Amino acid sequence: MNKVAIIGVGHTKFGRLQGKNILDLLCEASLEAIDNSNTGDKEFDSVYVGAMSPGVLNHMTGIASALVDRIGLIPAAADHIKNGPASGGSAIKAGFLAIASGVNDLVLVVGGEKMTHITTPGFITSNVATITHHQAERRHGVSLPSFAGLLTRAYLEKYEAKLEWISEIAIKNHKNGALNPIAHFQKTIDEFMKSAIQKGKGQWNDVNEFLRDDKTNPIIADPLRLFHVCPISDGAAAVVLCNAEIAKNYCDTPVLITGVGQATDTHIVHEREDVTVLNALRNCSNQAYKMANKTPQDIDVAELHDAFEILEVIESEDIGFFKKGEGARAAHEGLTEIGGKIPINPSGGLKARGHPLGATGVAQVVELFWQLRGEAGKRQVEGAKTGITCNFGGFGNSIVSILVERM
Amino acid sequence: MKILKDVEKIEWKKCNICGLLQYEDHLRCLKCKNNDFERIEASGTCKLLTFTILKAPPAEFRDRQSYALGIVEFENGIRVLGQITTQENLKIGIELKPVYKKICNNLDGNEVHAHVFKPIN
Repeated sequence: MNKVAIIGVGHTKFGRLQGKNILDLLCEASLEAIDNSNTGDKEFDSVYVGAMSPGVLNHMTGIASALVDRIGLIPAAADHIKNGPASGGSAIKAGFLAIASGVNDLVLVVGGEKMTHITTPGFITSNVATITHHQAERRHGVSLPSFAGLLTRAYLEKYEAKLEWISEIAIKNHKNGALNPIAHFQKTIDEFMKSAIQKGKGQWNDVNEFLRDDKTNPIIADPLRLFHVCPISDGAAAVVLCNAEIAKNYCDTPVLITGVGQATDTHIVHEREDVTVLNALRNCSNQAYKMANKTPQDIDVAELHDAFEILEVIESEDIGFFKKGEGARAAHEGLTEIGGKIPINPSGGLKARGHPLGATGVAQVVELFWQLRGEAGKRQVEGAKTGITCNFGGFGNSIVSILVERM
Repeated sequence: MKILKDVEKIEWKKCNICGLLQYEDHLRCLKCKNNDFERIEASGTCKLLTFTILKAPPAEFRDRQSYALGIVEFENGIRVLGQITTQENLKIGIELKPVYKKICNNLDGNEVHAHVFKPIN
């Protein structure tokens, strides 16, 4: 198997990006990655585009070949990879396999989504909920946040954890996001509170009081409130991959993808023996660790899929950082802060960087690329050499992990 | 208008080879890949394993501000996800019984019928 290197990255700002369509965003991230990797005059073998629902949300299909046309990469092969919220991770896996197999030498992977223009109440919630089991789940009125509510309550009861510990993860991720110039929300929750006070919306003594207020932090899926849930966002992220043997022709400090894993679990969440266990993550992260010959103890920094803050807890356990049931306490003790034992989501995670669904799995790898090259600015995890991602699809029934290392 | 009915019996199936109890739509056993099953009906009351109160319903349920959803487990191990008839006094472990009723009109205007769960006390 050939070694696979990342030689350049691109990342649009995440947020509410008006006046740009999905294809504009994919083009912007792709061209930045091509510039960043010094491959502007090269022929690419393949382009993989991760996006969940451009057909439904943007009335655009065939976006991979359309992208290749716009950015001048004809006749490169072009595929649109759809795996729900894990579309970006799946697209990276496809690019990795193309180079590892020796079939391709130079590949562009880009993920993106354009979502915030949809204003119909419940439309995105319903669209994303079509990923759940039609008969056993969706017809009963579930949404992805409702599953997160079910999991949070089960977790808190089983492991005697506190909801405040889960809220502290949102506080941490907003603190990290405030240091990330491409994040959707570049504001700490303390700053959210102060700006609400300035606008005369209320008075709170501290952030915890602010987060307990039904008006500023309404319940979405009890016990989960607004600040436990990530936003929907617009944005795109891209990486250029090549055979590691030629990586130094383009880039002084390439980053290697040394482990890739992907696994599934039951479609119906309540068929899992324990709903607080992500078997798909246990399986896919084990594949990635094994391929890279690493263990969870070797990881310096992780980008996990905190679409809901409970997921960061459960994922931090099932990816091997903490024992089952100890993730929330570990976060409470500061172990997952930048500077802690295992920093999680220095980017701000989905909570603060934002969540343009198809972009997320690629954005996680872009953040690790910056971290491993020492380019993450004020949110830098000092000396990070090895990182791993969890890109969560469906409601935990399709998960991708990518393990990266300094070359 | 059509009425979209769920089966009124709550049934899962049990693998005749390895014994795993599973949802009724699996064509091969989740555990051993065989396709020899026996149908098993939910029996007795059920207990609440976890629940949430959803305050941001999907479009199909747009006429309701909120409702409770729970995962319940029957005495013989069958699990079901469904709405709960009340949002008050819910607690993990309470006993409930299934009630079959209309739960919404879907986006095509058809009635959707399904099991919901009512606390016994």
